[in-house]
Amino acid sequence: MAKLISLLSLTLILPFLCNSFSPDRPTGHRVLVLLDDLALKSSHSLFFNSLQSRGFDLDIKLADDPKIGLQRYGQYLYDALILFSPTVDRFGGSIDVAAILDFVDSGRDLIIASDVNASDLIREIAIECGVDFDEDSAALVIDHTSYAVSSTEGGHTLIASDDLINSDVILGSKKIEASSDLDTAPVLFQGVGHTITPSNSLVLKVLSASPSAYSANPKAKLSNPPSLTGSAISLVSVVQARNNARVLISGSLSMFSNRSAVQKAGSSIKYEKSGNEQFLTELSKWIFHERGHLKAVSVRHHKVGEADEPAVYRINDELEYSVEIYEWSGSSWEPYVADDVQVQFYMMSPYVLKTLSTDQKGHYFTSFKVPDVYGVFQFKVEYNRLGYTSLSLSKQIPVRPYRHNEYERFIPAAYPYYGAAFSMLFTYIASSFGTIGRGGETTVQGSSARLENFD
Amino acid sequence: MVLLSVIVICEAASVFQPITDAHRSAALELFKPSDGSFGSLEEAYEALRSFEILGIDKKPDISTATCHSVLETLGSSSSSLKDLFHALRVNGILKCKVKEEVFEGIVPRLKAVISSASSLLEFYYSIGSLELIKGQSSNVIVLLSDADGIFRSIKALSQSDGRWRYSSNNPESSTYAAGLALKTLAGVVSLASSEIDQSMIGTLKNDITKLFDSVEKYDDGAFYFDEKVVEAHEHHGPLATTSSVVRGLTAFADVTSENIKLPGDKILGLAEFFLSIGIPGDTKDFFNQIDSVSVPLILSLPATVLSLSKKDQLKVKVNTVLGSNAPPLTVKLVRASSSGSKDGLLIESQELKFDKEISSHFLELPKNVDVGKYTFVFEVVLHDSEHEKVYATGGQTRVPVFVTGIIKVDNAEIVVLDSDLGSVESQKKLDLAGENVVSLSANHLQKLRLSFQLATPLGHVFKPHQLLEKLVWLQAFLKLSHDSKDFLGLVEKFYYLSGSYDIQLTVGDAVMENSFLKAIGQIELDLPEAPEKAPRPPLQPVDPYSRYGPKAEISHIFRAPDKRPPKELSLAFLGLTFVPLVGFFIGLLRLGVNFKNFPSSAVPATFAILFHLGIAAVLLLYALFWLKLDLFTTLKALGVLGAFLLFVGHRVLSHLASTSSKLKSA
Repeated sequence: MAKLISLLSLTLILPFLCNSFSPDRPTGHRVLVLLDDLALKSSHSLFFNSLQSRGFDLDIKLADDPKIGLQRYGQYLYDALILFSPTVDRFGGSIDVAAILDFVDSGRDLIIASDVNASDLIREIAIECGVDFDEDSAALVIDHTSYAVSSTEGGHTLIASDDLINSDVILGSKKIEASSDLDTAPVLFQGVGHTITPSNSLVLKVLSASPSAYSANPKAKLSNPPSLTGSAISLVSVVQARNNARVLISGSLSMFSNRSAVQKAGSSIKYEKSGNEQFLTELSKWIFHERGHLKAVSVRHHKVGEADEPAVYRINDELEYSVEIYEWSGSSWEPYVADDVQVQFYMMSPYVLKTLSTDQKGHYFTSFKVPDVYGVFQFKVEYNRLGYTSLSLSKQIPVRPYRHNEYERFIPAAYPYYGAAFSMLFTYIASSFGTIGRGGETTVQGSSARLENFD
Repeated sequence: MVLLSVIVICEAASVFQPITDAHRSAALELFKPSDGSFGSLEEAYEALRSFEILGIDKKPDISTATCHSVLETLGSSSSSLKDLFHALRVNGILKCKVKEEVFEGIVPRLKAVISSASSLLEFYYSIGSLELIKGQSSNVIVLLSDADGIFRSIKALSQSDGRWRYSSNNPESSTYAAGLALKTLAGVVSLASSEIDQSMIGTLKNDITKLFDSVEKYDDGAFYFDEKVVEAHEHHGPLATTSSVVRGLTAFADVTSENIKLPGDKILGLAEFFLSIGIPGDTKDFFNQIDSVSVPLILSLPATVLSLSKKDQLKVKVNTVLGSNAPPLTVKLVRASSSGSKDGLLIESQELKFDKEISSHFLELPKNVDVGKYTFVFEVVLHDSEHEKVYATGGQTRVPVFVTGIIKVDNAEIVVLDSDLGSVESQKKLDLAGENVVSLSANHLQKLRLSFQLATPLGHVFKPHQLLEKLVWLQAFLKLSHDSKDFLGLVEKFYYLSGSYDIQLTVGDAVMENSFLKAIGQIELDLPEAPEKAPRPPLQPVDPYSRYGPKAEISHIFRAPDKRPPKELSLAFLGLTFVPLVGFFIGLLRLGVNFKNFPSSAVPATFAILFHLGIAAVLLLYALFWLKLDLFTTLKALGVLGAFLLFVGHRVLSHLASTSSKLKSA
């Protein structure tokens, strides 16, 4: 009996134990961290701690551990992967580039930190994500105007950058601030730069280099113009795939470490704390879908004044359309508030494109008149905003023309025609009446011939 | 008396920072007691020990609650060895009032454990506890009579490569265990009632040397120990492992009278390893780091970026790892040479002056030092010969030093030259310190020359690392050379795109304090038409902000309704259509309508009436068709009515025809 009860309770609990990745819970909690050496566990502990305090189970392994694997029996063991192993040439276990790409293709998240002398393996993964690291493996991003002032490092490779993407959803609404000053604390970066492939519209530069930066080997003389210069260099990029998997690519592993205190060149303010911790915490919240993950539910449309959804609309009908949109906050779905959600009434091209009104509680609605073109239409909501997962809803609905009896019947302009017809008919009746009843030869013959014609 | 003794030999390029105030505040943040005590005595010890080493006075007051649990643990006869050990360790710091009888009660128990112990951890905890009791109570006799035997039984667990096993039936060897074993053995030596066999200590030293053969190294010169076998049931990271070895080693070095010969750079590398971690975010890591660096190591920290414009002095701060001042010593600059050239020997054997106020050694840079990268070699010499025994000099410290300064930019001008003749087409002076807006125009047969002079503060010609002129239209770059540029060779780089290009000049170097990025102006380029095979310009990245925002609204334009006349006009014409009808009736009346010919007999009269009614019904049907009915209903009804009318009409007419033929014949 006790066995039965325990089995029963297990089956009851099981769904809750497996509350990992699903459309209803976009934040998975199992994270595999692959390191080059385990000392990173201590030196990057602030980053790991911030993840752990947010409820993630970090499974920290060496990248060449022969026992690691992303899936077992066709089931993924992890919801996210962090690659802090820039120099690894071959992963242990069953992990390779294809396995990692499949992992991302299944909608799971990935964080890659590269560094100087990054291995071809890491570069290959980055290229698959639409990011090209500088080909020169010894190259570092150098910036002689916005570097972090230090009495011990004079190479200007430790960059203090504050050229962040302007997006509250990716970086959080709180400004990256130093604790004491109101000014933005710069983010420290030391590593390789990369460019994003222009044809790839899914990659975003989150942290860019300043216009005076360039990527070169600081120890060698510059013989050719550097291939990467200026703000085309991206220091940290993110990718949001079409399946909403999110990837973070950073050219520096040390930016995740517990480093603090920074003074930017040319500025007298010395910051007690660099922006790295907040920058990475907020960015990891975005990567792990704790922000910017939307879902749309209860899409409804009906004629004005009715409640039921019709199977077909007639041209020129007035209709109402509504949808509810929620954002995942890491633990629950919160109403999403925006004023730029748009609906399209679409057949080959949009006939109507209208911004939805909102009640600020996640409910979006509008009403419009069906165009006077019939055919098979779609209600389309294509919501693509910087940093948010894309919403793509479409619902097919046919539109028919007027039926024969739905046209206007009493048109004043046509009254004279009606009048003429009826007047003619009256005359006709009266004349036939008269013809039949009247005496006289000639008229009878003529009118009878006429009557035969009429019949 | 031997101490681990190191002075920095900075082969590595990077200089590690000692423990600072950041560590102290981090410690207070990390070790936060909940409800006046820590979760376990082990945590309490780690917190208290870290506070003690860092010298934090404002530690949270946990002594009452913690002492209470210490007394409870020590008093109870059922508490585990591990708990006893940690309780004693906490007691060592907090000095709770533990009665002598309590200690006397524990000692026999511990000794019993030692004599029957088989695993390393049992030895570690029990001997560690005895050692702690020895330190905390003077009256209790803790000395071990059979120290040699215990020493041998612990030594029996060691492996040939210097690592140890946790117990005799566990074949896995561990570096972490080696650290524990060394610490335990140190305890045995200190507790021994008689002198330990020196040969055994000798073999142990061999083991330590072997252990150091397995040390691992980073590129930057830091050394660390790591477990070979990763899947040990209780895995320790490199920090915990290295820390364990260092603790064991220092403890052992404390109790033996002989010097342990270890390569100095390895011990230094270990210290660097601990410091390179920065501030760990985990209490365990934090304790391990802090506890390990409490061994007396000295770091010298030269400032490696010197500014000529600020008249920076060469400063070397010498202190211990924990940030306190070092014993009196002299820092010597053995030599300083320029990194680029071999012959550039600048300074040789100079002694740095010591400034008590800022407690650092400094040297005025000689006048002939120009901006650039240099390698300075330092040596530290201790004043006190006693200290020299404690801190053996490790060698010379090589430090790369950047001497920065303001570079003068002069004689800047931009010229467009005619290619063949070299004649000047247009020439503009530039002021690179201020704002410039130059606008030039050129075609592909001409040359552009941008020239300026860079000079160091001492007047030498300066060649910066970054020297870029950028014509921005499609991100094409020109490397500035001494020659003037020929647009002919660049047309392909510009993808044959004529138009206005912005000129940007970037000059920067690590030693240049006034690195700059300047927009100089525009140049109007007139390039030839692209040949067919010319490469297409690459895709330009799209601005992410523009790709996303909302789209412009679209509203459908409905077909305009037909134009209609005003209602009044229609009604007037409606009236007009009835005028002929009225005229007709008047005409009928004038003609004198009669119904003489209307059939008088019953049957034809009925047909005639029905015929007229039928026509009236058709008229009514038409009226209804207009008002209400649709075509199909109307046609149906009309079909029925038509057939009826045909029938009755035919009867009426045939009657009329027969009457008229009768009349004729009559």
